[in-house]
Order: sequence, then structure tokens, then C-alpha cells
Amino acid sequence: MAPKQKGGGVEAASALLRAAQLLGRTRFPVIGGLLTDIDGAVAALALAKKLRGVIDHAAGEELARGSQIMRERGASPASFGETRNRADVIVMVGSGPLKRDPGLFQDLFPEEKGLPRPGDQARRLILLGDDLVNAPTHVKLTQVGQGGSDLPTLIARLGAAVAERPVGDEGQGDPLAQVAESLRTAAFAVIVYSVADLDEPALFTILDMVRHLSVATRAATLALAAPGNGDGVNLCSTWTCGLPVRTSFAGSVPEHDARRFAASRLIESGEADALVWIDALAEQGVRRPKGVPTIVLSSSDDAGEGEADILIEVACAGRDHDAALYLPAISGIGLVKAAHPNQDKPTVAAVLNNISGLIDKREAA
Amino acid sequence: MLIRLKGGRVVDPLNDRDAIGDVFIENGRIVEGASHGRKPDETYDLTGKVVMAGGVDIHSHIAGSNVTLGRALMPELPVLAAQGGASIAPSPDAWGAYATGIRYAEMGYTTVIEPALIPTHAIEAQIELASIPIIDIGALVILGNDDFSLGLLRDGGREAELQDYVGWTLGHAKALGLKVINAGGSEAFKFNARTFGLDDVVPDYGVTSRTVLKVLQRAVTELGVPHPVHVHCNNLGIAGNVETAVATMEATEGLPIHLAHIQFYGYGAEGEEGLSSGAPRLAEAINAHRNVSVDIGQVMFGQTITISGDILRQFDGRRGAHPKKWAIDQGDGNGTGIVPYQYRAGNFANAVQWSVGLEIVLLAEDLWRVLFSTDHPNGALFVRYPEIVHLLMDRDERARMLERLPESARQVSNLASIGRELTLSEIAIITRGAPARLLGLTDRGHLGPGAVADVAVYTEQKNKTAMFASAHLLFKDGALVVRDGEVVNVTWGKAYHVAPGVDAHIERRLAAFYDRYYGVDPSIFGVPAQIAGRPDRFATVPCLN
Ligand SMILES: [Zn+2]
Repeated sequence: MAPKQKGGGVEAASALLRAAQLLGRTRFPVIGGLLTDIDGAVAALALAKKLRGVIDHAAGEELARGSQIMRERGASPASFGETRNRADVIVMVGSGPLKRDPGLFQDLFPEEKGLPRPGDQARRLILLGDDLVNAPTHVKLTQVGQGGSDLPTLIARLGAAVAERPVGDEGQGDPLAQVAESLRTAAFAVIVYSVADLDEPALFTILDMVRHLSVATRAATLALAAPGNGDGVNLCSTWTCGLPVRTSFAGSVPEHDARRFAASRLIESGEADALVWIDALAEQGVRRPKGVPTIVLSSSDDAGEGEADILIEVACAGRDHDAALYLPAISGIGLVKAAHPNQDKPTVAAVLNNISGLIDKREAA
Repeated sequence: MLIRLKGGRVVDPLNDRDAIGDVFIENGRIVEGASHGRKPDETYDLTGKVVMAGGVDIHSHIAGSNVTLGRALMPELPVLAAQGGASIAPSPDAWGAYATGIRYAEMGYTTVIEPALIPTHAIEAQIELASIPIIDIGALVILGNDDFSLGLLRDGGREAELQDYVGWTLGHAKALGLKVINAGGSEAFKFNARTFGLDDVVPDYGVTSRTVLKVLQRAVTELGVPHPVHVHCNNLGIAGNVETAVATMEATEGLPIHLAHIQFYGYGAEGEEGLSSGAPRLAEAINAHRNVSVDIGQVMFGQTITISGDILRQFDGRRGAHPKKWAIDQGDGNGTGIVPYQYRAGNFANAVQWSVGLEIVLLAEDLWRVLFSTDHPNGALFVRYPEIVHLLMDRDERARMLERLPESARQVSNLASIGRELTLSEIAIITRGAPARLLGLTDRGHLGPGAVADVAVYTEQKNKTAMFASAHLLFKDGALVVRDGEVVNVTWGKAYHVAPGVDAHIERRLAAFYDRYYGVDPSIFGVPAQIAGRPDRFATVPCLN
């Protein structure tokens, strides 16, 4: 173990002790980032509960939005495997999904024939929105919605068309009416999107569309996984306390609130008085909220030295050690073997459990 | 350390015991008392108490991606259930993993089987199960709607390979047994089928549900897996489906089979409403087929949620959702359907369901083959077990409940005419001895020397709901974990599984299959022993050959 403290070069044990001291004094800390594996999430949830704090994930905004739709109305998802093998019509909402997963087209449209599937039409891809994309040559691609309409408007109009309500001025010739017809005649239509790109009304409209279609045929949604093991952490939170991330353990029962318990809001408003920021998946471009005493657990070599009050170097899940992470290909949690096994640094779980033990000791003393 | 449990009424049907006496515990095991001749280190005076083995639950959905999808859909479930009078804390975490173990222990349960492990999601399920304290667990892994099995059956003559595949799947998921849910039905749903019976043909694959089921049943038997194939039949919840259940029993040709939550198949189509109790017909068939065991799947009135790999059935059931929301997860293999549901005493169909479950138990000749369950949470939350025990043991309690049912339901029910009251010993059979034996967990479910010292002590009283709601004491592996209905010591149990040996060629075939169709290597969903973070978490139950 070689954790560093602000200013660097201090003993590991001392950093952990200082972290425990800092957290032992807090009133309402946030455990945020949560870019970690399932073991790390388990430990973070336990620590948040002990400290009567809040848990949130770096992708908390989209996770909480997806969770809200689920709580209010439910869901009709298909797994990645079912979409890849059996969907004959795939509608992709904007180019957001492709930006998140550049290999998406290849994975959804492999060249080899898939598992037995319903219907006999060739598989096709419909791209909704303004961006131009290049699909593999063996995929039949239709693009609809060029000309400036934003995604929410396109989705609202497609929703109306699927329900066979008037969609606007263009009448029967409207390309969206043709998309709706493709969806109705599909054997298994899947609408692929990233929750991060869409607001709640659009997400509800997509769900309604799929449910309307599935009365007569088969239809489903496929939301791209959140970055940074967001879905894994969210699942872990749900089986642990019954609620998704952005949950507070300050009261007698856990409480979830997508806005009140957003890490950034709690830090900026000063409601939270400390932050434990976990960044152990080597993700790029994740921004940490600033303004309260902060303990950073980082697997990055250039983890902003001098910025955190306490910096603890940790192993990178899936690179330095085997890790349970959400894997989109199986639409669930799977195991990633360490790419370069390295036991020099402790895991997030080990560090958090250590700090937790030290807090217990302090309290007992 | 020698512990003496002194002077309680020891109810231990597997050892033919129901008498006042002592039970001795040493090093986590039950030991012979008389041969010791030495002074116990600790003695509990259990005068007026009932001493039983720890409860063993053969079918309860407590973990895995399907259950957690239910939690995500309905965090308010415990609050609504508590408002309806269920004995559960009104908090979202009351149906989280931790609370599940605590509540089971408070009721005197020590082993619970999660019956629907999705092969590709086995890691999540096993991690969740490992975060449930106190109880031991086993899990049943689902096949029968997966394209690999169906592909082997389409090609014909591939039974040996299928057997290897079943063995591989059990080992890969660290499962204790095999579950088959509406064999072929979920696959048919993928081709837009909306009903699927025993002799319906799986589209494209050209095999019937009957064939899929029988081949998987033979595979489990041939592998020597102690627990017989655990089956969720076709046509769940449909009037007249008692014929499906009976046909399934007849299809088994004497090989062992366990039919889950049989109440949901106990419906005749008689009467003005076209729905009646099929319990007498079902009980007669169960009595006659000695290779068949069942668990009840008892329904209780109140708010719950239904979670099932029978996606075709759940898709249809979405219309009855209460509250009005549902999730239809079209996943690999079976997929999952989640539909919140409220059973109401004033609802004719719900009242018939409630009656049918009790009738099936009360009409059983051999309770070693008719096991206790609610199919938690599908028929009722597991926290309601004590109320069901009460109903089975007390005909006045049943009469009191019958009063609340619609007259139309009472007319098609046989419950009023059944005077049988189960004894404590019979309760111990259906909640301990029988499930342990059927699972091949021979070291539990009884209090004979050598058995694991999982011992539940209850205060004998007329009100059986109160008696079984909170154990006076519970010992897990010889350690006191519950006192006066409250957990005093949080311990961590084991996960039991089988590990059949399989031919290595199956791994190569599976690697090619998963690479082509899913773009992954199957090792990513195999459960490694260290997944739970505790070195002694997993324990192997030997196969019988
Ligand atoms: Zn079940």
C-alpha cells in the first residue's frame, strides 16, 4: 500500500487515519464518483450508512432519471443479446449511443447470422436525428429527421405516429409515419438510446411506443449502460437498500431524491460537509465537485496531487485486480479478469473497509 | 463447548421424535446427549418451548437481477405491505438483501433456496446472496428456454451433450439444482406466441415443451443431482390448468420431479365464473405419483409483487398490475416479468387461489412430498409464513377467514368441509424435514446426531401466528443468533451447490456459441469461489453417482 497525503510522501496508515478522523467528525458526508467495482460499491454503501451520509455516482443524473421512469411506470427492455440476435428493426435515437459505444453497430449487426428470430425481413437500422453516421456496409440504414428537428420533437412525433395519431403537417408522406409503419410491421423492434441524451417526457414516450407496439407484435427498449460501472453500482445500491444512487442514510429509513441528493448540489450548496470521491476505473473526463474537505481514492497516476485534502492511491478495478462490473454484452454484472494483475495498491473496498474500521476504533476509544 | 437445550418439546419428524427431552450441541453440530456423561458448559431451560430444526425454504425469490429489477420497480412494496398489516418494516430496505436474512432468522429459518438463477447473471445473484446474513443458501439455475439447449434438441440425438451442458451450467453458476420455467414458452414468446402448452412446439426449433422438460429431467437424474428437476409448468394461473399439472406428472414416467408453487395450477373451470378449486383432482394426482413432490405457493391477501421467468405469462398478467406499472425484461434465455399485485379477499379469483393452496396441503396423504412455500413474493411475502402455519393448524382460523370471502368463492371451495389440522410434527415436515431431504441437504432439517446445529426454539401457544413469527431462540451452526425474536449475533452462512464433472468438449462448444452469438467468453459469467469475499462461502453437495 502506498497512499499519499496532501503534500505527498506520508505513510499509508497515516492517510487512512486522517481520513477516518475527517469522516468521524462529519455531519453529512457524500460518497461520490463511485467509479468502482461491485466490491467497492458494497463498501461505499456500508460507509455511507455508517456515517449517515449520501451515495451518488458520477453518472447519477442519468441513473436517477432511468430509475425514476422505472419506479413510475416500469420498463420493457431487451437484453443486448436479444437485440443483437433477434431484432429485425432497430431504431437508434440520435448518435449519442454510438458516441458512447463506438463498436455498437458492429456488435448489434454482426455479419454472421444470429440465433433463430421471428419474421423474415432483413434486419435494418433506422437512425433518428440529425447526425450523419456510417453504418457497416452490410447493414441497411435509413436516416430520418434531418433538417433541424431536435430529438425530443422527433420522438414526440414518432410516438404520435406509432399510436396512429396525426403527426404534423406532412401527413402520409412524413418519413416519421413511415418509420412508425416499419415499427408496426416489425417482428421485433428495439429502440436504442442513451438516457443521458433524453429528458423524462421523451423516455416516457419511448416506453409508451414500445408498449403500444407490443400489444400486437414484439418491441423493446435498449438503453446504453451508464459509464463508470454506473449500472452495476446502481444495482448494488438497489439490492442493498432498496433504492438507487442519490440516496441519503441520514434519516431512520433510507431516502432517495434525484435532485436533493445529487453530489454536486450538496457540495455546492454547502449542505454536505465532506466528500469521499472514488475514481478507480481509469475513466476519462470525470469532474469532481469541489468546495468541501475531500478524500480522493484514485487509481490514476496523475490524480490531481495537491488538490484533495487526502489522496489515497488505489488499484484500478479490472486492470490491477479481477472485478465484478456491469457488462453491457450480458446486460448484467459479470467478471472482468485483471488485465495486468498488480497487488501494489489496495482495492477501493479494502481502503473503505479499513477507514470504516478505524472510525469504529476512534468511536470506541 | 457443550450446550444443552433442556426440557423442551422436541419436534423432529425425520427422527420420529415428538416428546419432551433434551438436544445437545457441540462444535456446531447436534451430538448424542446421553453418551457424553459430562456437564454441559451452557444450559437453556426450554420448559414450555418447542424445539425444531431451523426452517428450510425450498422456493423463495430473494436475490438476483430479476428480484432487484422488482426492487427497482417497487421500492414502496414494504410500505404498502406494512399498511396492509404484513409484519414488515415500512422501509425500502426491508426487502433488501440484509433485511432478508435478518427477518428469516427471526422466524427461525436457517436455509433458503433462491429458485431462479439466470445463468448469465449468476455473479450478481451470488454476490447478492452472499450479502444476506445468517442463512445458508442454495440456488437453482434456469435452463429450457436457452438457445443452446434448444439447438441440441433440434439437432436430435444430442442428449449426452445436453447432459454435459446441464452439468456445466450447474457448476458454472454454482447452483444446487436445475429450474425449468415454462419449457420453451419464453422462446415461443420471442416469436410472439401468447400461450404455450405442454404439447406446443417451440418455433424454429421444432420441439415440444414436453420433450424439453423430459430431456432436462433425465439429464438431472443421470448427473445424480440430488434435487430433482424443479419445474414451473405451462399455463400458470389459467382456469382449468389442473389438467396441465396432471399431464406433466404423467409425462415424467416415474422419474423424480418437483413441481413448484402448485397452487397456481390448481384451478378447475367449473362453476358460474368458469373457475373452481381443482385441489381435489390435484391432490389425488400428487398422492398417486410418488415420484412427484410439490411446494404450495400459498396466496395471502395483501400487497405483493410477482417476479417470474415465465415472461409469456407475466406479459399477459401485466393487465392486472396493482399499482399500475410493470417490467417485461426480454432477456437472454427466459427473461423476466415483474408485475406488482394485490390479492384481495373480496376478489372471487383471489379467494379461490387462497383456498386451493390450503386445500392441497390439507388433502395430502404424504406431506413429505407437499412442501411449504408462498413462492415469495409471488403468492405472498415470506414474512407471512406464520399466518399460513396458523391456518394449516387451526380450522377455526380458516373458518374465520372463509367468512370474509365472497359467497361465490366459498361455493367452489372445499375448505369448509376439511377438518384436518396439521400437527406441529407435520409443520416440521413441510417446513424442515421434507425440503432438506428433497434438496439433498441431509445434514439439516432434523435434530439427529451429526446434523448441523441449526435449531429453532418457539414458545408454544395457541396463536400460531405469534408462535412462529418470532423464534424464542435460534442457533445457527451452534451459535445463538436470535433471542426473543431479535437477532443478537450476525453471522454469515454458506452457499451449497453441486459440481458435476463434465466432458471438456462442452466448454469448447460453448465458447464458440457465446463468441458467435453474444460476442463474449462464458468465463465472464462463471462464478468464482472468491466472489463472496469469504473463503469458506461455497460448499459442494456431492452428486449421487
Ligand atoms: Zn418461483
